[in-house]
Amino acid sequence: MNAPAGPGVVIADDARLFRTALAELLAKAGCRILAEVGDPDALLAAVEATGPDLAVVDIRMPPEHRLEGLHAAVRIRRTRPSVGVLLLSQYLEAAHLTELVGHAARGVGYLLKDRVSGGDFLDAVRRVAAGDCAFDPDVVSAMMGGPRRRDLLDGLTGRELEVLALMAQGRSNQAIADALHLTGKTVESHVRSIFQRLDIPTEADHHRRVLAVLAYLRSSR
Amino acid sequence: MNLADGGSGPRVRVGTARLTDGLAVFGVCLGVLVLLATESGRHPTSTGAGFSGAVGGAYLVAGVLAVHRRPSAPGNRIGLLLVLVGIGWFAEDVQISVDPAVHTVGLLLRSASAGFLVHLLLAYPDGVLRGRSDRLLTAVCYAVVFAGIPLSTLGFTTLTPNLLLVWPLPYDTIARAEDAVQLVLGAAVVAVLARRWIAATRPARRVLVPLSAVGLLGATTSVLDAVLGTGPSWHHQVLITVAHAATLALPLAFLGGVWRVRLGRTSVSDLLMRINGSDPRQLRELLARALGDPSVQIGYHRPERGDYIDADGRPLALDRAVTPVHRDGQRVAVLIHDPALREDHHVLAAVTSAAALELDNQRLAAEVRAQLAEVKASRARIVAAGDEQRMRVERDLHDGAQQLLVTAALTLRLARGQPAVRTDPELTELLRRTADGLEEALTELRVLASGIHPSVLTDLGLRPALRALAARSPRPVELTGSDLPRLPDLVAVTAYYVAAEAVTNALKHAAAEHIRIEVGTVDGALRVAVADDGVGGADPALGTGLTGLSDRVSAVDGELTVTAAPGAGTTVTALLPLESS
Repeated sequence: MNAPAGPGVVIADDARLFRTALAELLAKAGCRILAEVGDPDALLAAVEATGPDLAVVDIRMPPEHRLEGLHAAVRIRRTRPSVGVLLLSQYLEAAHLTELVGHAARGVGYLLKDRVSGGDFLDAVRRVAAGDCAFDPDVVSAMMGGPRRRDLLDGLTGRELEVLALMAQGRSNQAIADALHLTGKTVESHVRSIFQRLDIPTEADHHRRVLAVLAYLRSSR
Repeated sequence: MNLADGGSGPRVRVGTARLTDGLAVFGVCLGVLVLLATESGRHPTSTGAGFSGAVGGAYLVAGVLAVHRRPSAPGNRIGLLLVLVGIGWFAEDVQISVDPAVHTVGLLLRSASAGFLVHLLLAYPDGVLRGRSDRLLTAVCYAVVFAGIPLSTLGFTTLTPNLLLVWPLPYDTIARAEDAVQLVLGAAVVAVLARRWIAATRPARRVLVPLSAVGLLGATTSVLDAVLGTGPSWHHQVLITVAHAATLALPLAFLGGVWRVRLGRTSVSDLLMRINGSDPRQLRELLARALGDPSVQIGYHRPERGDYIDADGRPLALDRAVTPVHRDGQRVAVLIHDPALREDHHVLAAVTSAAALELDNQRLAAEVRAQLAEVKASRARIVAAGDEQRMRVERDLHDGAQQLLVTAALTLRLARGQPAVRTDPELTELLRRTADGLEEALTELRVLASGIHPSVLTDLGLRPALRALAARSPRPVELTGSDLPRLPDLVAVTAYYVAAEAVTNALKHAAAEHIRIEVGTVDGALRVAVADDGVGGADPALGTGLTGLSDRVSAVDGELTVTAAPGAGTTVTALLPLESS
């Protein structure tokens, strides 16, 4: 992440200390911090004014401290589809993911707030800024964990389940191969097998693939 | 507070009664004398001695009856006026005498009863003139009868010589003047009575009916007669006959009023027979019927607060006429009723003493209901306050500790990236362990906050919260049921805790493999049922969990049932009303 002109980022969180620390982390990783704001209106204004590659948004913001961040994120995704949106939250809720993603799994991420101090965070930032997806493993496993889903996923091998979970998080075949210490070819064959068993049409396009997996997980709830 | 009083003191009463009796005796003597003296002078077209005697006698009898049957101030005054009307009535006949001296005296008194009659009509039933207009009208009538008429006698030419005739005028002039005055005063009385009738409430009308009807009839014929002319004609004959009938009916109408009060007493005995064991609504209806006031309310006394409540325990405002009900010297209740009922205060007194025992019983029941309602409301408030507290604690954890720990972890990450740290393996290791500890603390804190109050319940509502509950469970939890309307906060939170506790029990104690949460609305209530396929036979005293749940559910007026047949699993069902009763 040390490219000369890294992604431009807007950070929205009403906790100033957190915002500052996050800005520092991202700046060290090569991002250009375009604005730091503390409420939804300022976020929307900053996005309009600076045209960032990525907005990192806390779900709870003034005035009600409920879902203001989620609503602002959805609005940015609708009005400025080129801006990646990474939503951070203290708790994960599948319904929030569904609302956030809508019908376009492009440039969108939903992570537990604790992840900012974890190793994968910068990778997620990079992916979302580049137009890919990054979903928290916990929310994906919660979506895969319901009883009916378990029945439907029963036909998959343990390895295939692992691959499916990483796919749903928005990982590419190569990233999955790296994470599971497999070759690219093996991952590809797992993916084909998963799609076949779940009756999902095979799509070359990465975004459509994520969307298909999410749609599958949603529809079986 | 405006309590009905029992009238004026007994001394005054006895005085008026004696005076009335004396006057009545005088009236009888006068009547006999007049009828005998005028028998020879009666014109064939004039009213017969029999009719005259009947009318005058009826007034005298009615007056005496009134004084003795209703020994209170209004009855007294009305009785006195009735006797005076009777005396006036006989005095009017004196003019029939053919003896010039007696005839002349009779001419002076030829309308003597009219002043008392108007006074009686306007003063009925209280015995007092209520407004300034009533007093003025009465005064004018007296002035006309006892000053105007005698004055006109100076110019009045009659068949029998008028000894006071000093300035003879044509008969028509005086007759027309008398017609005009009669018209104006008659119309004024009709207007006053009509207005009083329109403004009267039902119980007041009950008392007014007989006298008002007859009074209106008499006054109306008198006005018509004056309009059409009092000269000899067929309509004068008809109207004068009707007016006479009305005059005769008037004392009877008063007796009718007395009879109506007796009817009220009949309702009291009816009340006495049915009152025992009546429920609160029946009791009120019985009282309303006995008093002839459908609007009557019962206010049960709460001595320790000094206020009054209705049968459901709600505080009442004493905004109308109020009559206290006592038992063994203690005030047990008040009747809140139409002020007009005071005119029938015999009935009121009879009803209150008949109902005192039952009202005392009902008072105790109403007090218990009020206390129960208070306890219920206070329990709901306690539960709501608890929920509020939990929500605030969750919010504080989230905005405070969690936020600070996340920031600390992030800052630690920045520190670990420093070149100086990276070259020191021991420091690297220490900071890694610190980071791990922070991460664990954050996870624990998140679980704790969610257990205190799940954010998703506040943010998205009951169904998503139950879905999240199902997703967290290590065993399969199925969520079924219909769409939910917008739920009151207390109901949603209660339903969530019922489901959460039941799922926890199923996993912990029943070794369930499969759990099903069913949620939906039934007949204005939210129904949450959690069924498992565990060992069943749950001990009702299984833990404080179920007891706590049952308390929570009762706080929103709901119902919690647990069915747990051995081997058939356990089903916990809560029915929570959506409208608090």
